[in-house]
Amino acid sequence: MAVVATAAPEWATKEPCLMGIDEAGRGPVLGPMVYGCMYCARSYQNTLATLSFADSKTLKEEQREELFESLKTNSSIGWEVDVICPKVLSAKMLKRTKVNLNEISHNSAMGLVKKALDMGVLLAEVYVDTVGDPEKYRVKLAEKFPGIKFVVAKKADSLYPVVSGASIVAKVTRDRAVRNWAFDETAQNMHMNTGSGYPGDPNTIQWLKDHKHPVFGFPTLVRFSWGTCTPYFKNGVEVTWESDELDEDEASNGSAKRQVKLSSLGFTGFKRKSEEIESSGKARCKFFQARKLELVRKFQ
Amino acid sequence: MATPPAAGVDLSPAATDLGRVHLLPCGIRHNSAAAVSDYFKPRDTGVEVDGIRVEEAFFRGRKLQGATVALPDGYRGYVLEKKNGEKDTQGMDGDVSSFVSRAEFQNITYWNHDTMPSAEDPLPRCFHWLTIANAMHKPVTAEDMENMSAMQNRNS
Repeated sequence: MAVVATAAPEWATKEPCLMGIDEAGRGPVLGPMVYGCMYCARSYQNTLATLSFADSKTLKEEQREELFESLKTNSSIGWEVDVICPKVLSAKMLKRTKVNLNEISHNSAMGLVKKALDMGVLLAEVYVDTVGDPEKYRVKLAEKFPGIKFVVAKKADSLYPVVSGASIVAKVTRDRAVRNWAFDETAQNMHMNTGSGYPGDPNTIQWLKDHKHPVFGFPTLVRFSWGTCTPYFKNGVEVTWESDELDEDEASNGSAKRQVKLSSLGFTGFKRKSEEIESSGKARCKFFQARKLELVRKFQ
Repeated sequence: MATPPAAGVDLSPAATDLGRVHLLPCGIRHNSAAAVSDYFKPRDTGVEVDGIRVEEAFFRGRKLQGATVALPDGYRGYVLEKKNGEKDTQGMDGDVSSFVSRAEFQNITYWNHDTMPSAEDPLPRCFHWLTIANAMHKPVTAEDMENMSAMQNRNS
């Protein structure tokens, strides 16, 4: 996870500070999820309240952009972001041992706290918009960073100006990342009229239709682990993974479909065709099993 | 026992020398061309394991880690396609097919889901068989016999 850092301002290393943490782009089926934080000295708290930060969702895009620019030039404020690419989100959530989105979110927030501490920021209080149960999350944070007071709340972004500021940092960064997205893929006719990325948005639905691919699924802008994608994969080429089979084995008796059977490609081993053996080296000595070497006796 | 009729495999030089062949750790129920180079973008990680460079790529949202293994000297890889519309005239089994080479390759990049490639992976270990098979099938020379008995005498 790339944490883009600005150097810790002098005041932050001398005076106790408070920090707000918020996220943008947790729900959308595409683009990065961004965690942002903003911090200032405790003595600046009252001034901060007058800066008309509000929950980023209630502001227009231009207002957010303006506020972000003014926040960047305000020498009494520090900020950081952690941009988590859709690739990384998909990969973590689809690992053999799956990491869920809450855990990814918690780790990102903790990464921001750690980063600030490493930079020498004197953190006294941290305000966090909750992900999952607020009290459990607070305990997790407090155990990880003893000595810091954590306040974890629902809608913290509209309750605490320092979290509102963080939500602007996160939201503007996320919007810019999507706007300036450079595709890894080199397929023809790709575009960025993605809409909001929420499953109900007609522009998002159209974008998904325009960019689906029977074999590859989607470009890596998409979060493959989102339920929104599932119907598209059902219509595409079937892809089966060993790690998914292990999940399914619990429920059904796992129809082994890991590999396209060699025999269906026209190769037959010693066993009769009906037994449909895989390229597993099954029933051979250990040397061959370990190497998945199957004896192919004839082509047909 | 009658030998089953050999399938016809035409290995005449194919038009395409594939730059790369990828072996993915999943079943893909698709048996024809795909826009691999547009969507599958391996990236060098800068990490080396057992002297092999590890690459990273993504497929269907999964992170894959891969290593490229050269085929041993004297071996060559072929992508075979079953020839359609040609009834076999040999008649014996009636279902003998012929294949034609569509592309050739000299190395394979195999990909693991969530595990670092290593010399312990099945694919690089496959090539051990070639060494063993050679040793097993090499004719024994008179000299070999002499050496063997010399060794046995020494051990007894």
